[in-house]
Amino acid sequence: MENIFIILLGLTMVYISSTSRLKAHINMLKVQGFLLFIICMLGLHNDSELAAGIFNNSGINFSYVIAIAFIIFETILIKAILIPVFLHKVLKNTKVHRDTEAHIPHFYSLVISSAVLFLGFMTANIHTPDFNLISPIYFGVSISIIITSLWLITVKKTVLSNVISFITMENGIFLLSLAAAKDMPVIINMGVLLDLFIAVFILGMLVKEINTEFSNLEVSKLSDLKDYE
Amino acid sequence: MISLILLFPILGCLILFLFKNRTLNNTILLVYGIIHFLCSFILFFKGSNGYEIINKFFNIDNTNRVFLLTLSIVYAAFSVYNFGYMKNDPSLTRKLRHYSYAVLLFVLSMTGAVLSTNLGLSWVFIEATTLASAYLIYFHKTKHSIEAAWKYVFICSIGIALAFVGIILLTVSSGSLNSLFYSDLYTNAQMFNVFWLKLSFVFILFGMGTKMGLAPVHFWLPDAHAQSPSPISALLSAALLNSAYLIVLNMYRIMTLSNVETYSKIMLIVMGFLSLFIAAVFIYHINNYKRMLAYSSIENMGILVIGLGLGGYGIIASYIHLIGHSLIKASYFMTSGNILKLYGTKKIKSVTGILAKDKKTGWLWMLSYLGICAFPPSILFISEFLIVKQMLKTGHIFMCFVFLFLLTIILYGMGKAVISMVFGKISPTKEENTRKLPLSMYLPQAILLSLAFLTGIFLPCLDIILSGARGF
Repeated sequence: MENIFIILLGLTMVYISSTSRLKAHINMLKVQGFLLFIICMLGLHNDSELAAGIFNNSGINFSYVIAIAFIIFETILIKAILIPVFLHKVLKNTKVHRDTEAHIPHFYSLVISSAVLFLGFMTANIHTPDFNLISPIYFGVSISIIITSLWLITVKKTVLSNVISFITMENGIFLLSLAAAKDMPVIINMGVLLDLFIAVFILGMLVKEINTEFSNLEVSKLSDLKDYE
Repeated sequence: MISLILLFPILGCLILFLFKNRTLNNTILLVYGIIHFLCSFILFFKGSNGYEIINKFFNIDNTNRVFLLTLSIVYAAFSVYNFGYMKNDPSLTRKLRHYSYAVLLFVLSMTGAVLSTNLGLSWVFIEATTLASAYLIYFHKTKHSIEAAWKYVFICSIGIALAFVGIILLTVSSGSLNSLFYSDLYTNAQMFNVFWLKLSFVFILFGMGTKMGLAPVHFWLPDAHAQSPSPISALLSAALLNSAYLIVLNMYRIMTLSNVETYSKIMLIVMGFLSLFIAAVFIYHINNYKRMLAYSSIENMGILVIGLGLGGYGIIASYIHLIGHSLIKASYFMTSGNILKLYGTKKIKSVTGILAKDKKTGWLWMLSYLGICAFPPSILFISEFLIVKQMLKTGHIFMCFVFLFLLTIILYGMGKAVISMVFGKISPTKEENTRKLPLSMYLPQAILLSLAFLTGIFLPCLDIILSGARGF
């Protein structure tokens, strides 16, 4: 069941790489947040302890409630609401709506990102003993999301789309952590989440500063510091 | 002790927030410097005996003992130097308060990264160092400092995100073990799946290598070090890079325990030599003296991982090198702050005759140069000597030749710049700065340098320092 949503998550990356409107990219971030929420919720029922639901034999199942609360907080609140709203604000301030001319035409972007996604599916079909330790489809798609995001960072031209690609990469890493099917202690999970959120916040502030100081958002303008004249 | 080190910065931020007093800023930083030093000193010799819940996540062991003491010596020197450096700065009180917040959080996160006993927690703190120091690099709010801060935050965040991929792959490799505590990882290392372990080492080395400034992923380092205020550059170079190195060291230990260290050795040595090569190429034609020091940091990080990759005496050497590099580089960067105050430029060509203008700064600049080039009484001489010895012992004659050749180029490149800056007539500056620098801008460097040269002759507590190098 969750495979459908994982594939949809992979397809959002194809969409991001083939459009130039920054608003559409931010909307896709919202979609990714919701998809991750659904995948988490479906994955929860594979866990024997948590599968019982809110109520078990001895009243309310607190570990279930805490797990769900954390997932909602992590995916819906942070990834699907707070970060996109903040980026919308930055977008309004900077008045840049399009990442015009990327280094590669959109058609080729579409082809390349589809090819990466396809390779991801192929890795999901490797059957060696090593791969038994990991859920294949999660792994393949998350690797393809990470690679596509890293590639988009090098291709896109404005600073803001770099930030968006950074967030999609973090979403890919989140999916990878689901592939490992191990839960880290809550303190570390919270720390990771807090770091991500503050990083996006600081990057957004810097985008605003770059916009006022350099009067546009092109990455190529950021090349004053170098060792040769 | 550990809880005091970790809680004081938060308390300090609160005090600064409540009492908006200008002189309080530097005082809090200084008090924290003293507390940090005293606590680390006691922890270094006695070990910790605090609350159990804190000791579970933060503890001192043979490996991180040296890292903690080095960090606190550098920070103590920083807090004294900062007192003088910020006194003459015509910046606003509000700006200075933000600076103090950021410094406190930055040191807190470095201390947390050094002390934490859990790989995941170390990751969280390393990322926190990036976020806390972003404001410090951006402090001057010029066009260039924005560019440097952007590169720093963006490149480091991506690198550290990749390190997190490595951590996830490590949990995959650890099979049924559901824990990231170093002690658990060490005891179960034999049972790890080798395929995923190797993959995770690659990711963690590149991720933490970004933070350390190892060669193919070092691009943020010269920009950030050159644009931040000089005391901050000293902290970045002498303390931050070490705390990222600690994670690489711990990962290497896991690789050794699961008998795949040959694989990691090759990667460490290749990255180390690449760092030396990059540093040699850029230092030769350098035109900005703060960037020169930044490239020298890249070089020294390269030497650290080469020592680690060689094994044997090399690991001892990399421990000693870490101490020496932190002491000398901190003093070097602080002295560069003096020069910046005296001349108002970072260009090497526009600065001549430091000795004639300010004798003490000139001598500190020369001595720091001699120290970083491993001139014999300097402690770095011992570490580089041990590395060469290990190379010859294992029969890597060609590697030894390349190592010495690259070091010679770096020595020549830096020497050319330093000598032309120190001697000659005083260069005319735009605005004549006749104000005398306060004593607190000379004293920390003098102490750090004398420590570095004295420990080159006699290294106290050798047993405790080298206890971390055992078990590889």
